[in-house]
Amino acid sequence: MTRVRVTAPRTVNAGSVTSGNATPNSATPNSAALTGGRSAAAPHEAAEESDAGQLFVRSLIRSQLRLGLVVGLGFLLILLAFPLMLGLVPGLADSTIAGLPFDWVLLGAGIYPVIGLSAWLYVRTAARNEARYRDLAGDK
Amino acid sequence: MNPVVGVAAFAAVSLATAVIGFYGLRISRTTGDFYVASRTVKPWWNASAIGGEYLSAASFLGVAGLILLSGTDALWYPVGYTAGYLMLLLFVAAPLRRSGAYTIPDFTEARLDSRAVRRVTSLVVVLVGWLYIVPQLHGAALAIRITTGLPAWVGPVAVVGVVCITVVAGGMRSITFVQAFQYWLKLTALAVPIVFLLFVLGGGESAVAAPAANPTALAPAGPYQIISLLVALLFGTLGLPHVLVRFYTNPDGQSARRTTLIVLGLLSVFYLFPTAYGILGRMFAPDLAQSGQSDALVLLLPGRMIGGMAGDLLTALVVAGAFAAFLSTTSGLVVSLAGVISQDVFGGSVRGFRLAALVSAIVPLGIASMTESLALAGSVGLVFAFTASTICPVLLLGIWWRGLTDAGAIAGMATGGVLCGSAMVAGSVLGAAQTPSWLAQPAAWTVPAAFAVTILVSRATRGRVPRTLTRLMTRLHTPERPLATER
Repeated sequence: MTRVRVTAPRTVNAGSVTSGNATPNSATPNSAALTGGRSAAAPHEAAEESDAGQLFVRSLIRSQLRLGLVVGLGFLLILLAFPLMLGLVPGLADSTIAGLPFDWVLLGAGIYPVIGLSAWLYVRTAARNEARYRDLAGDK
Repeated sequence: MNPVVGVAAFAAVSLATAVIGFYGLRISRTTGDFYVASRTVKPWWNASAIGGEYLSAASFLGVAGLILLSGTDALWYPVGYTAGYLMLLLFVAAPLRRSGAYTIPDFTEARLDSRAVRRVTSLVVVLVGWLYIVPQLHGAALAIRITTGLPAWVGPVAVVGVVCITVVAGGMRSITFVQAFQYWLKLTALAVPIVFLLFVLGGGESAVAAPAANPTALAPAGPYQIISLLVALLFGTLGLPHVLVRFYTNPDGQSARRTTLIVLGLLSVFYLFPTAYGILGRMFAPDLAQSGQSDALVLLLPGRMIGGMAGDLLTALVVAGAFAAFLSTTSGLVVSLAGVISQDVFGGSVRGFRLAALVSAIVPLGIASMTESLALAGSVGLVFAFTASTICPVLLLGIWWRGLTDAGAIAGMATGGVLCGSAMVAGSVLGAAQTPSWLAQPAAWTVPAAFAVTILVSRATRGRVPRTLTRLMTRLHTPERPLATER
């Protein structure tokens, strides 16, 4: 399947596109669906429209997956950086914070804010992706 | 220690659990109530309940004990337990809620349009649940033995008894309230004694061992073990049956995400405390590690450092928290297992649910009475590895990859289950000292193997991709409101 990114919300006649009522046979989207209004009066418009609807759905799924992977990999990189930092920066492993060794503080407390921040960023952006999908698909 | 303290604490927690459970009884009347609390639980309640259910014996007792034993290596456990929820949020929470299924087998059946997949998934879910309940019961046995001097079997039997009564009486609705209450109880039970301990310590800086000093001759974990552990914890969390069933009680996908965000905050706050116990244990009670009682550290530390009446009261609080941990995780697992068993075996009625609840609680009681307690955090870690190798690939690929087929799913679950299961059996036969690290922490190779088999078999059988796929993928990933007008 070719990869299509939908960026302009106004190319498709907003109110007429309903998402998700695709019949199994009309599942394959194609870029022709983006030409939109062409099929508005045709009797087979349901199939055409669901092609467009499916295009939006696939675009939403792709952007949510990409978002999940970016946040997940970013978090793992930071997690990986913690032991590397301790190994590479001289003296860091021996330093203390409030009487506790630095690596204990880092692993025992320092990672949690990173987890929380990643999660918060994800929730915000995922909701934004969905709002954009709603705009595109014309569902208010 | 005064044995009355332990008994009184357990009785109080059981009574509170039962009272809240029966309070919930009045509002659970339909089958839907019983399974998923009619999906009307508020995010804060739900998040507290998820936290309450997730923080098991391994978190309450095991993490501190493991930190006492192996120091910074053990700090990866709470990090992994928490980060597992991040993975759940990123890849599972909202789509799973939107799938509209009650249990994991419901989800796989709907996604792959196959009864065979449903049966295999049910089998794996029940297996995971039983494996996960066993360490809870081991924890109960340990707590009863240490704090009351009663025979160890009293603990598991009491826990299973209370769980059966609550679940059979109230179903999921009352469980949600019970779990939420138990999260806050667990947090208080760890936090209050720590505040007292730090206050006492603030008085006199005596010469003590540094937390970095190793009380035993254990070798530090290598990079392989840490990576494998993280794979198990990160990918195991999103397949745990009692965690997943919680997401169905959210009204929609967005609130499922918000709930998970709150859960992450609750877990992050909670895990500071077992870590603090572990550090204090290293400084003031290293002898527990040498005598093989490290899992009892949380229970014994307050009484040791603060004598007399105050010490007894703090001990009672900690014991109450420990039993809250055993009860909440066990009841959460029993509810989700009962949901699976009753739908597959008893036809999904309320009576069938009650019968299934009894079955799902009594079998692990039998297993627990025949097996020995390992380090709690370690044995729970193995269950995470098993889940990550079986349910996780099917769930992740089912949600995000259109190419998954029923044959691929079954082959993947079988591969992961057999590989990880054999590693667990081999490890327990060889004993902790003789097990090589690739067998002791199998996730780093069993999880990729399960993913690879699932993908390859799905590719080879691509004609079997279900016809309902397009509609289902749309439903999983699009926000709810458009769908309300659709059908």
